[in-house]
Amino acid sequence: MTAHRIRNILLKEWEVIFKDLNNLLFITILPLLIVAEPLAIMWAVSRFGGSSVLGSSLIQSALAKLGAEIPAISVLTVDQQLQVLLLSQFKFFILFIPAVIAISFATFSILEEKQTRTLEPLLATPVRTWELLLGKALSGAIPAIIVCWACAAIFFAGVVIMGWGSLNTLVLTGSWYLVLLLLTPGIAVLSFLLGVIGSSRAKDAKNAQNLIVVIILPVFALIALQVTGIIWFSPLPVLFLSIGTWLVDFLVLRIAVRLFQRESIVIKWQY
Amino acid sequence: MPVIETHELTRKFGDFTAVENLTLVVEKGEVLGFLGPNGAGKTTTIRMLAGIISPTRGYAVVAGQRTDQSIELLHEKIGFLTESPGFYQRLSARRNLEYFGGFYAGIKDLKAQVRKYLGIVGLLERAEKPVATFSRGMKQRLALARALLPEPEVLFLDEPTSGLDPEAAREVRDLIVKLSTEGRTIFLSTHNLAEAEQICHRISIFRTRLLVLGKPEDLRRQLFSRRVVIRLESIGSEILASLKRLAFVKKLDLEGNRLSLEMDNPQAMLPEVVKEIVQAGGRILEANEERRSLEEIYLNLIREDKK
Repeated sequence: MTAHRIRNILLKEWEVIFKDLNNLLFITILPLLIVAEPLAIMWAVSRFGGSSVLGSSLIQSALAKLGAEIPAISVLTVDQQLQVLLLSQFKFFILFIPAVIAISFATFSILEEKQTRTLEPLLATPVRTWELLLGKALSGAIPAIIVCWACAAIFFAGVVIMGWGSLNTLVLTGSWYLVLLLLTPGIAVLSFLLGVIGSSRAKDAKNAQNLIVVIILPVFALIALQVTGIIWFSPLPVLFLSIGTWLVDFLVLRIAVRLFQRESIVIKWQY
Repeated sequence: MPVIETHELTRKFGDFTAVENLTLVVEKGEVLGFLGPNGAGKTTTIRMLAGIISPTRGYAVVAGQRTDQSIELLHEKIGFLTESPGFYQRLSARRNLEYFGGFYAGIKDLKAQVRKYLGIVGLLERAEKPVATFSRGMKQRLALARALLPEPEVLFLDEPTSGLDPEAAREVRDLIVKLSTEGRTIFLSTHNLAEAEQICHRISIFRTRLLVLGKPEDLRRQLFSRRVVIRLESIGSEILASLKRLAFVKKLDLEGNRLSLEMDNPQAMLPEVVKEIVQAGGRILEANEERRSLEEIYLNLIREDKK
């Protein structure tokens, strides 16, 4: 029965979410913009001279750490080295996609329930609160992860189309796969849970989504740390980062489950 | 056989007591009216009985299940019409019912059940329309169909005819009566006193605590002394004197040509009163036992409780 109930929630959530044109545009256009941006930057760097940028000590430091993970880049031209460096940043940049999609779907889902006052009749059915939370979490996390993976594929296809295909084999290291397979789901779940927590007290999506900074700022920090060469995220640090994210997920899940009890929803949530 | 039993059911929110020591029993097939002013704790009580919130003290057993334990089992056996009929506006009426009905293990053929209850509430023709296009009354009927969908033993109805036009309200009342004759127990919270009097077997008047519980007729007897009102062409001193001599008349009030006599058993004593008046030369235009409306009982109790 549990699987049937979760499937029931998933199908309803997707039906409601995808009947909203804003959500459809959001799930298609925003990820494409996120993919297009690094490709445009790479094109600009290759077109308008990477050599001057390479003079920067920060970039030199980053390239040195990149070289330690991918020794083969030493045989590349300066511009190609810079392109590999930029391509490597996308593994974190892409995390914005599951973060924003999952938190948006979570806030849409919960606020829709609050505005239409469907939570109380729903809580009077035999559905268990954890089934409801899990069904909703999957309805946000699954599209977020799929879109993220699709964007990664589009990104690498874009790299090929723009004539830098030979670099893909250098960039697609173990750390990339760890980001896609471990970190992306972890970020999607975390974003969804933060969306639930934000939505429980908020009356509109804007307020509910404020907690997104808890994810966006650390992702920016990761990109900054890597591009400046302070830390290079080879597979091992990415593995630790992923495990850390899942631990945070677990802690945030406990808060979300407490907020998602029948009594809390009916009495404490703001409508 | 009791289907709802509460024992000193109490719910506090911080220092505020919403429900205090509610003890009552509702029998199978009974329609119990639950009346009280806004903020009296009616919705809190229904939420406790429906297992949505827990009591601070005391307990309730509904359809054989403790409401603070085995919530899923309890919810398989109850239907709950909430105060506001919440639906997913973009989804059709059918899809909404299929979604809510999809959580009940007891519903074997969900699609057929949805069609059946959409038909019962008169919405079969609008089944594929989005709920956003429905009027308040149609949403209310759809909410009733949702509450009935699992064919529950116990129905909690919070203002079921609110927002309905008179015809639709009557249909809902008829449906409630029909459900009760089928053996379903109905806990009906309403502000509509005439409706409560019409369809409820017993009435409870509630304001944080249970003020009174009984059949409407018993409540009248319990709360008001019984009176006979007699209208005469004219009232002379002889008539008054003869009536005062009657031992069973506890109190006599005169207002114009209208006499009001308080007594224990008006039905048995009225012929005696009529005889006395006629013998004293009085001409009677009208003689009736005064009937107190449920509204009077309700307002009287609430006023007393405020003091």
